[in-house]
Amino acid sequence: MKRTWEQSLFIAVFLTPAFLLFTVFVAVPGARALLYSLQKWDGLSKPEWVGLSNFAALFRDDLFRIALGHNVFLTVTAGSATILLALFFAAVLHRRVRGSAIFRVAFFFPNVIASVAVALLWLLLYSTTDFGVLNGFLAWMKETVDWPAVSLPIPFTGKPYLVYSVVPMLVWTATGFYMVLFLAAMEGIPESFYEVAELEGVSPFGQFWHITLPLIREVVVVGVVFLVIGSLKLFEAIWIMDNEWPSKETHVMATLLYQKVFSEYNVGYGSAVAVLMFVLVFVATLATLRFSRREALEY
Amino acid sequence: MRSFLKNAILYFVLLVWLLAVVMPLLWVFASSLRSSREFVEDPFGMPWLITGSPYAENPDVDTPWESVVAGYRKAWVKSKFSRFFLNSVLVTTLSLAGIIGLSSMASYVLAKFAFPGSKLVLLYFVSGLMIPAQLVLIPLFFQFTTLSRWGTALLAPFGYELQLHDTFTGLITIYVALSLPFTILVLAGFFKSLPGELREAGIMDGCTEYGVFLHIMLPLSKPGLVTAAIFNFLGIWNEYLFALVFMNSDSHKTLPLGLAAVSIQAQYRTDFGLMFAGLVIVLVPTLLVYIVLQKQLTRGITVGALKG
Repeated sequence: MKRTWEQSLFIAVFLTPAFLLFTVFVAVPGARALLYSLQKWDGLSKPEWVGLSNFAALFRDDLFRIALGHNVFLTVTAGSATILLALFFAAVLHRRVRGSAIFRVAFFFPNVIASVAVALLWLLLYSTTDFGVLNGFLAWMKETVDWPAVSLPIPFTGKPYLVYSVVPMLVWTATGFYMVLFLAAMEGIPESFYEVAELEGVSPFGQFWHITLPLIREVVVVGVVFLVIGSLKLFEAIWIMDNEWPSKETHVMATLLYQKVFSEYNVGYGSAVAVLMFVLVFVATLATLRFSRREALEY
Repeated sequence: MRSFLKNAILYFVLLVWLLAVVMPLLWVFASSLRSSREFVEDPFGMPWLITGSPYAENPDVDTPWESVVAGYRKAWVKSKFSRFFLNSVLVTTLSLAGIIGLSSMASYVLAKFAFPGSKLVLLYFVSGLMIPAQLVLIPLFFQFTTLSRWGTALLAPFGYELQLHDTFTGLITIYVALSLPFTILVLAGFFKSLPGELREAGIMDGCTEYGVFLHIMLPLSKPGLVTAAIFNFLGIWNEYLFALVFMNSDSHKTLPLGLAAVSIQAQYRTDFGLMFAGLVIVLVPTLLVYIVLQKQLTRGITVGALKG
């Protein structure tokens, strides 16, 4: 097809705005962050080239190691709990439980709430004041069945406990999303597979283990990668629950980055953290692409 | 009998999770209807608005209805939730218009016109999906003055000035730019699935390329546009980090930012009623949008995830 002059103009007119905006506000800043990570800069004076020493400093810095450790801890604990629960609920709802639509709609809802609101909601649930529901429940247990043997109220969102208290909140928020993801994949499996298994006398768990799980394996992998990317970027949960000022006991990578750049003006350090986050997300994304490239099973 | 028992156990687990999801939300709604006097007398009681106040005979005590109205009015007016709400509506609406407009134009051209390098340009946009927002955040913060100066120079002939820091223009521009990779990926896939003969027929009938896009392609791609719009709506309506960095003045805060700021102050003053009311103000619009659009939303996840 020969292109007329008008057509070329049309292409240019339609493409240029998005192209310019993306270049100026995403691509160039992204590249510039790589440069920042190789510099020592306070945001005002002349930047100084320091090579890779920002990265070397990161790995020597206890603060960063602890923050990274928290990210890893949250990914492993909240992540595995989320995936297991989501798989369980998806498997149960897949076998056509009565009222499955209600469960699906309700379970997904926490996922659409602003993460700031979720953090504040849990801050109130965990509260040590009179109306803190969780502490109230524990107090009631203590009175009625003489358990648990701890002094109440427990400061769930106090510094040393916060990282653990965030885990149930993350699971509460994310499970519905992954459940919907897995459920959709399960609905693509032909019913006849299960009918045969039924005739052969395979138990429901056996059906899940030998039919469902192998056939949705790729979607589960994609889910795991989503989760890893999500928990690398985790910010609001810690930031809000630690009163917008996390410290050594509570930092994750994103909150550390924020503090280093926007209050200590240590731009090189913060950029190095951002670059590391980028590298980790990059690796995770490539892993997903590798998996989703593999040929889809045809039934 | 055994299968009955099994079913009972499965239902029990499902119900436990249902309660775990629904109860905290109901608790927030109920608590937002209670006055501080009610909290003092019974931390876990039902709102007097429903059960009736024990002080109904006492004219010195506000009726439950009066204190609920006073509590919400305080949040809405004095704590400026009305301002935050309008700001969020403004930022989200304009961002969505920009995202859908720019992305649909770009992805239509990339999907339907195979010019030299068109694949490369699509890859360029889509590679943006791998960039975490934090990486872009730092340079944008330090370059906003320079960018504003350039923009002002560009707009000077038209008598405009461009100020990007702490303005809606700045935040909306960032939101639009950051949403391009995802939206272009989704919409390009959609436009690819539309038959090319439609365009040729339109041209035959005397439509311009612009006319074909506006009158044929856009209406046909409505389901794709809706999916893209829902995901971007949730992302922007709930966004916190960029708003935190760029919107400094109180009058420019969006809803998540305002809620966080008000709540953290309220905690120090132990004004929990304000926190509950603020949470409800944030939760209600999300709940309404979710109820209306949840079908499209869950379908969108499915399509997006399964197509990689």
